[in-house]
Amino acid sequence: MRKLGCFLFAWILLTGATWADSIKIPIAAPFTGPLASFGEGMKNGALLKGEEINAAGGINGKNVDIVLEDELCDPKEAATVATKLANDPKVSVVVGHLCSSSTLAALPIYRGAKLPAISPASTNVSIGKMSPYYFRNVYRDDFQGLFLAKYVKIVKGYKKVAIFYEVNDYSMGLMLAFMKEAKKLGIKVLGTEAYTADTTDFKPQLTKFKMMKPDAIFIPGYAPQGTLIISQARSLGMKNVAFFGADGLDDDLMVKNPDTEGLFVTTPFLPDKAGPQAAGFVKAYRKKFGKDPNWFAANTYDAVGIGAQAIKAVGRNREKIRDYLASINSKDRAYDGVAGKTYFDKNGDCLKEAYVKKIKNGKWVSAEKQLQ
Amino acid sequence: MENLLDQSSLFLQQLVNGITLGGVYALIAVGYTMVYGVIQLINFAHGEIYMLGAFLAYTMVTVLGIPFFAAFILTILVCACFGIILDFVAYRPLRNAPRLAALITAIGMSIFLQNLAMMIWGSQIKSYPRDMFPAIFLKPALSIGEVSMTWIQVFILSITVVCMIILHLIIHKTKIGTAMRAISQDKTTSALMGIGVNRVISFTFAIGSAMGGMAGVLVGLYYNAIFPTMGYIAGIKAFAAAVLGGIGSVPGAMLGGGVLGIAEVMGAGYISSEYRDGISYAVMIAVILFKPSGLIGRQIGEKV
Amino acid sequence: MRWQLYKKDPRFVFLSLIFLAVLLPWLPLGASTNYVLRIMTTAVLYMILALGLNIVPGFTGLLDLGYVGFYGIGAYTSGLLSIHYDLSLWVILPLAALNGALWGTILGAPTLRLTGDYFAIVTFGFSELVVLVLRNELWLTRGPMGLPGISPPSIFGHPLASDWEFFYLILLLLMIVLLVVTRLQNSRLGRAWFAIREDEIAAQCCGVNLIRYKVTAFAISASIGAMGGAFYAKWFKFIHPDMFKFWESILILCLIVFGGMGSIAGTMLGALILIPLSEVLRAVLPQGLFNARYLIYGLVLVLMMRWRPEGLVPFKRAQAKKAKLAQERLEI
Repeated sequence: MRKLGCFLFAWILLTGATWADSIKIPIAAPFTGPLASFGEGMKNGALLKGEEINAAGGINGKNVDIVLEDELCDPKEAATVATKLANDPKVSVVVGHLCSSSTLAALPIYRGAKLPAISPASTNVSIGKMSPYYFRNVYRDDFQGLFLAKYVKIVKGYKKVAIFYEVNDYSMGLMLAFMKEAKKLGIKVLGTEAYTADTTDFKPQLTKFKMMKPDAIFIPGYAPQGTLIISQARSLGMKNVAFFGADGLDDDLMVKNPDTEGLFVTTPFLPDKAGPQAAGFVKAYRKKFGKDPNWFAANTYDAVGIGAQAIKAVGRNREKIRDYLASINSKDRAYDGVAGKTYFDKNGDCLKEAYVKKIKNGKWVSAEKQLQ
Repeated sequence: MENLLDQSSLFLQQLVNGITLGGVYALIAVGYTMVYGVIQLINFAHGEIYMLGAFLAYTMVTVLGIPFFAAFILTILVCACFGIILDFVAYRPLRNAPRLAALITAIGMSIFLQNLAMMIWGSQIKSYPRDMFPAIFLKPALSIGEVSMTWIQVFILSITVVCMIILHLIIHKTKIGTAMRAISQDKTTSALMGIGVNRVISFTFAIGSAMGGMAGVLVGLYYNAIFPTMGYIAGIKAFAAAVLGGIGSVPGAMLGGGVLGIAEVMGAGYISSEYRDGISYAVMIAVILFKPSGLIGRQIGEKV
Repeated sequence: MRWQLYKKDPRFVFLSLIFLAVLLPWLPLGASTNYVLRIMTTAVLYMILALGLNIVPGFTGLLDLGYVGFYGIGAYTSGLLSIHYDLSLWVILPLAALNGALWGTILGAPTLRLTGDYFAIVTFGFSELVVLVLRNELWLTRGPMGLPGISPPSIFGHPLASDWEFFYLILLLLMIVLLVVTRLQNSRLGRAWFAIREDEIAAQCCGVNLIRYKVTAFAISASIGAMGGAFYAKWFKFIHPDMFKFWESILILCLIVFGGMGSIAGTMLGALILIPLSEVLRAVLPQGLFNARYLIYGLVLVLMMRWRPEGLVPFKRAQAKKAKLAQERLEI
């Protein structure tokens, strides 16, 4: 009998809803687990925006409730979280996910529930096309890879590049885009090697690269591995090889490591290039969290803003919000946020500029030459 | 990459990498092999002790401010105790239970410990702080042309060799070592001969865990990356090494470790880097299926 | 007093549970209906998987640590067939089951003569290799890009869309699997399996061809796992190698250990309790603790082995014998 009681209690917990009437904007991202540092940026950006909205009176008088849903960058968790959100009548728009595999897992559920979602961080190519309910305010991997190839050729003048990629969709998507453009531009890709998320010993592959003598090594992966790769490379005696990467390496972790001097990466967000609004955002973020915002924070800040604007304009009906978002489809209708002007194309993707930043003297600075 | 000099440099460097990796595997494998020798159980949680060693040293240095070498010694001692506790709590009560129960318990402990570590330390990769150990570790000890071997690689190899020698001496020249060998041959008769079986088993766990913990700290130094699931992966590979060398045989563990380390590095370097972990699994499956006694071992569970 | 009635006639329990299950989508749960349905669909899916895994340790005393490999094989078979050939679920299910059985036989034939620990390790290695292949062979599986866009199953031309439709579908699958498993248990095959579990040598002396029965058990177990995977792919409409990690095998193992290895009712009960429990934990526990729910699963394994190795619903036939044998058992 007691077991039954427990079950009933649990049942009530699950089926019961929040008590106050607020507008829930859920943020679905990994807040714990290996990618938690990225999720943290998203969380902070969202919380900051939520605070600012509420301080200015909320959306049509109601407070915004930023709800954090941890999905660990795992497709199964993402699907469970997505179901929960889809069935919550207080949720009319979702901000998330981060990892492309999570987004792809959640996508059919949002589509089935006609729930619009904005991803501030999923860069995988297929997402936009697959659902009219998914939007994103970050550029795609094929664009980023292309951009990097151009930058490398035009600004840096590297002729021989090796690629050290992780076996996941983000990294491989970037690599393929880069290689395609590199071929057109005449950059020679000397070789590619792979690693998995739990690899810590990169020496065998790095040794191979060392013998190839590249000008630079492209690491289209994440910071935790990136920092190890560079350190191990230096310890193998690879002093004259440059390293570059993409947004996955844009993390403080890289800065903490003295070996990474000179590393440059593409990023969707550079405070000094993004206009006066961004300055205010950076200041407020610094005040609240004690450090500079990264691009996850900036994009999520904007994504929440876009969602809030939609709700303000058309109310909480999911279909109407979706249509509103779809109507942000040109430069003059764009949402002017801290990460630039966001507007969506017919697939829900957006065209954003990529910036380059590098590590100089142990700090992230904007690279001297940008490419537009 | 064309000329022969480059090719041979590459090969030699990979060999150096492989031997060092092999040394680490050997240290962990020894723990597996000794425990299997005395109680015929694959201690799945052994990988977690290795992981705990890495994290304990990390915590001692960063949080408690203990200097490195002291932390190193302390970690080894704590891990040894931990091994004893593990046996006492999880395996001893099931000494006479069916094998399946003991196996499931071992797996359960492994999962439990991994997640406990995740809860305590978080699942992100941590690095030992730069100033923690003498900077000389990163410098190459000797370089011949393009091939270099850092001091830390030397350190790892020397510790491995020293440990193996000490272990060999313990097993063959001391009373307790003889007891271990006796128990691995026939537990019941050993008990009848007056050997305190449980005590000796605890001792076995202590030594195996001490070496596992040591390996953990060394790996943390070498790769500068520790994370809660490192035990699970390294554990399986070390077990593969133990089986390859001949489970129950300490020299076998060392040999198996070396061979597996080199095979993995060569495989990753020359064949395919995606299937790097798969090499260990494949080796393990192949050995178990075709030569279960391994390279050195004669019969399973005979020699310790 | 009520429990006596339940204990006396398990069919009564069973029927009432079925009745409840069928009613589930229509219960007044408000907006959470779909969420609850999804959880229950997951629970029933795990019941199927657990029933499949249960065959190996439950009926033959060996531990299969690589079950997730078959789960993944089934899911990818289903996903790929669905995407490339657009086959119906009713064609895919048997094909996936056959594929599972095939790999079960390939894995089982050389390995089933090993002792328990080695068998466990080899099955583990196998499942890791399967996942590695799924991850790396992009030409086949698209690797880490995953397989999005799998079409849902359709019945008489109507594609399944709502959660309750999937729920009924999985209930149907459960019925099929239950039928298979109970028939097996009471058949000659089943009796041979129990003989092997209790005492291999004695069984051999009675003329039981060890290898043949063991491999059959393994193949059937694998095919059930593959069927579960096939459903999974069509239900999620997206599969990815990350969904088939070793943890899944542990979870399913936990379900059968908790419920009672060898016992069909126990296995189902284990799934019914533990799977929704993890969702309840998600709502109740603070985030950090929840993500370590595998901590609890690990603990469950250890504690169950220590204090109630037969599980919640012990398998009666084996129980009495086991107690006797445990006292006399020597390591052979």
